[in-house]
Amino acid sequence: MSAPIIGSSPNRVGGIARVTGQHEYVADILVADALEAKFVTIDCAHARIISVDASAALALPGVLAVMTAADMPQPVPRFGPQLEDRPVIAVGETKYHGDPVAIVVAETRDLAMQAAALVHVEYEELPAVFTLAGALDPSAPLVQDPSLRPKDRFASTNVLREHPIGWGDVDAATADVVVEHTYTFPMVTHFAIEPHAYMAAPDGDGIAVWSTIQHPNWLQKVIAQVLHMPLAKVRVFAPDPGGGFGGKQHAKYEPLVALAAMHIGRPVRLVLTLEETFQAVRRASAEVRVRTGVNRDGSLVFEDIVADYLIGAYADIADRVVGKGSYPAAGPYNVPNVRIMARSVLSHTMPSTAFRGFGNPQVNWAVESNLDEAARAIGMDRLQIRLHNLARKGDAFIPFDTPADGHWEQTVLRAAELIGWDSPLPEGRGRGIALGVKSGPTTGLSYSTVRLLGDGSVVVFAGTSDMGQGARTVFAQIAAQELGAPLGWVAVVMGDTAVVPYDQQTSASRSTVLMGNSVLQACRSIQKQLSAMAARLHGLDEAQVTMDRGVIHLPDRDLTVLDVLVPGLGRLGGELTGNGEVRKDADPTHPLSGAPAFFEFNCTAIEVDVDRETGDITIARHVTVSDVGKSLNPLQVRMQDEGAAIQGLGHTLMEHYIWDEKGRLRNPGAIDYRIPTSMDLPLELIGATIENEDGPGPYGSKGMSEGALLCISSAVGAAVRDAIGVPMRDLPLTPERVWRALQEPSS
Amino acid sequence: MHAFAYVRPATVAEAVAILLAHGPDARVLAGGTDLVIRLRDGSAKPSVVVDLKRIAELRPGIREEDGHLVISATTVMTDVAADPLIRRYASALAEAASVVGSVQIRNRATLAGNICNASPAADTAPSLLVYGAVVVAQGPDGTRRIPIDEFFVRSGVTTLARGELVTAIELPVPTGRRGAMHQRRTRRRGHDLASVTVSCCVDEAGMTRLAYGSVGPRPVVYADATGVLADPSADREARLAILEAMFAGASPSPRSMRASPEYRLAMLRVLGARALQGAIDRLHADGD
Repeated sequence: MSAPIIGSSPNRVGGIARVTGQHEYVADILVADALEAKFVTIDCAHARIISVDASAALALPGVLAVMTAADMPQPVPRFGPQLEDRPVIAVGETKYHGDPVAIVVAETRDLAMQAAALVHVEYEELPAVFTLAGALDPSAPLVQDPSLRPKDRFASTNVLREHPIGWGDVDAATADVVVEHTYTFPMVTHFAIEPHAYMAAPDGDGIAVWSTIQHPNWLQKVIAQVLHMPLAKVRVFAPDPGGGFGGKQHAKYEPLVALAAMHIGRPVRLVLTLEETFQAVRRASAEVRVRTGVNRDGSLVFEDIVADYLIGAYADIADRVVGKGSYPAAGPYNVPNVRIMARSVLSHTMPSTAFRGFGNPQVNWAVESNLDEAARAIGMDRLQIRLHNLARKGDAFIPFDTPADGHWEQTVLRAAELIGWDSPLPEGRGRGIALGVKSGPTTGLSYSTVRLLGDGSVVVFAGTSDMGQGARTVFAQIAAQELGAPLGWVAVVMGDTAVVPYDQQTSASRSTVLMGNSVLQACRSIQKQLSAMAARLHGLDEAQVTMDRGVIHLPDRDLTVLDVLVPGLGRLGGELTGNGEVRKDADPTHPLSGAPAFFEFNCTAIEVDVDRETGDITIARHVTVSDVGKSLNPLQVRMQDEGAAIQGLGHTLMEHYIWDEKGRLRNPGAIDYRIPTSMDLPLELIGATIENEDGPGPYGSKGMSEGALLCISSAVGAAVRDAIGVPMRDLPLTPERVWRALQEPSS
Repeated sequence: MHAFAYVRPATVAEAVAILLAHGPDARVLAGGTDLVIRLRDGSAKPSVVVDLKRIAELRPGIREEDGHLVISATTVMTDVAADPLIRRYASALAEAASVVGSVQIRNRATLAGNICNASPAADTAPSLLVYGAVVVAQGPDGTRRIPIDEFFVRSGVTTLARGELVTAIELPVPTGRRGAMHQRRTRRRGHDLASVTVSCCVDEAGMTRLAYGSVGPRPVVYADATGVLADPSADREARLAILEAMFAGASPSPRSMRASPEYRLAMLRVLGARALQGAIDRLHADGD
């Protein structure tokens, strides 16, 4: 056989279409008679809706409908992946700036916009909370109606849930040195380049829905429930999204668009503007207080962590983000006593949701930065304190959980070597190093089907969404490798719930491991059929025939797939079909309802130059090393790590939502919310991987794609602190903030 | 997008007639890098958009004429930044033009459009101020030459009268050696709106001109004819006093999202000192 396809970096499947503009995104899909929709919003956050006058809008020729809660089924359907708390449209009151009061549907987008501006909403502004302090004030107005959670002891507060976790006894533990600080992490948005877009069309006695969704099967369930239709009558098309980063995981406005389409009886499309996307998806901001106890020899004695996350007006998946993200907050270290108390706090802001890193970067920023302070307090090297406490493979660093699943010290040492940790530091520069660990998926269910066609070409059906991470390519590589087909002979079908078998979700860096194993299983099933076919054709026992990597081994010779397939299928032709099913059921005894399938582990090391007059940070060298088990496609792995690292530089250096006193977002869009450009990149960006083939995925792979973002802020912050001698505890580290830190008398 | 009429006059006279007839309901389109955004977000709702790109008299170009560099109204930033005459005689303007927006924006945005928007943050304004640029405007009553310092009023407002159209910007060609530098402060290195802009020009006679923007309602220019600023060996306190007097005109908005007033004022001093030093260094190196 030719060289293995696994471990090589062929051209990305679908890559040419993307870079030449041929790829069809939801906003590009032409559907006959499609109408365009636009939201009506009001210029305030929390308000009682008194009346909506749509007469002027409806008088415009070509405006078909202006729908409010009154036009929806009653009670207005609510949905949500954690709590069914989110109505399809504002009911009685708006809960956040941008919360749609009405949806206008018209023949064209311009007309819809024009009509939306003509809808008059009379409203009364209500007291609102936009900050942790405001939301936690005992006299704060409640964001969520207590009747939505009648038996909940927090129902009369803005705390949605608490997530306590820990071991040992923090209160009883004594340490030589205790370091305590509070850190903050800003509210940021995903900024996927493809806008969020939705379309729905009545389809016989069912409905077709197009969405930029990461979880088409989950969306299918939501739509079926809202419309009271069987799953089989809800067909979700999910074209490969143009970036998701978690922001496109869960249903947002699809139920509303579906209801509008059913009401009018024509297809309806809603494409959010970038500004509207800012009001639709974001990461939770957080305030994290850390008390770190350490002995003079560098041993960590305890970590005492209180993490408040400011989520939005509806839960979405935000509370899971808080619970799962804060869970490994003490880091990849053997710490005998740990107490973590994380809370999800509701506010009158847009719902926060999953975002690459899933709640980990917030606590990592605090805990890793505090570890640096602890090292300084005892006079220990910041790399050494980490190596001293780092969990070795097999250590149960979280006592009741999956033990450390990699030789993590290799990752750390590699990063230290690449940054030149022990080399003399050039004048004016600073270095930092930080570790990040994230629990992978705790549950999962991925079905796949692989068809080996009569000519040896292959069709893979996999319900993963390829939003740029390259899942199509990896699945094609697996099928090509296992079934001996050239990569160009493998088609991967995704994003159509009527055709592709069920997949739970595309999140938590799971797809290579869970769906990858499922595809591998389906291919192995076909291999068995081919082996049986070969045995039959050659009069052998099945046990005498084996197959691997596309080669069928008989006792006396090797055969290709076609050598067996063509005579085996016979005159009528046909095909062989294999199915895969990878299931990771929930474990109700586990704090996260399941132990992670793997950990993502990364070490980032940074060298910065700081302009002490302006506060400008230049990242002179950026090293990111991840334990990925095995790179199935090294180029894609590297691109994922680089992408995560650069995305993380956004919230580290410049990105943050700015609010006014009334809870209105002041900087939606690209003008006053800045993300890194190519000119803001590190002068040198060095990526590396540790590959011991010790992961649970195909060929020993582990999930990856979030790791390089987990500890980026911590590493940059540490380097800046090293350069300027002043700690920074609030992100982003804007030039102005660095400058202010340098103005402090202590510096 | 709001509906509007689109006209493409063939002559300046025709354009002037349209602008006169429609007054504030007409908006001029050259590069469109500001106007099109405003049309899309609805913050500009003109009844007529007047496209200048087919007017032969305004064809893009930079030429030397009677001791002036004449930059036509449709000349884009990319061409300003790359032009050998500009680089030779007005390097701070070339520097400023080269940092406006992104490459794509610089390929469309015009120098004239930049100043006609009269944004306090306009990147090219401080350099035009230190070079003593003149705005050539044609109106119903003929041609007017407006010193650039008398052109800006406040954000979005200039001293152009109804029916007047900027046809060119002129810069005097220097008779002696000079050095100049442009500095700006942004939130990131990639394209961004400036929170402080400073240009400084020093000539061999000891005249220093320093202009800054984005720290008040309009960009402003100050001159020091004493020779003190231009002389690095002059008394430090005396030099600082002159600079402080120049910076006293800054009044940054407390409402800005881009930077606080304190930071802007501090950066004005940092960038002002850097631009001054850079200008002096260039004067003594190879001139402007």
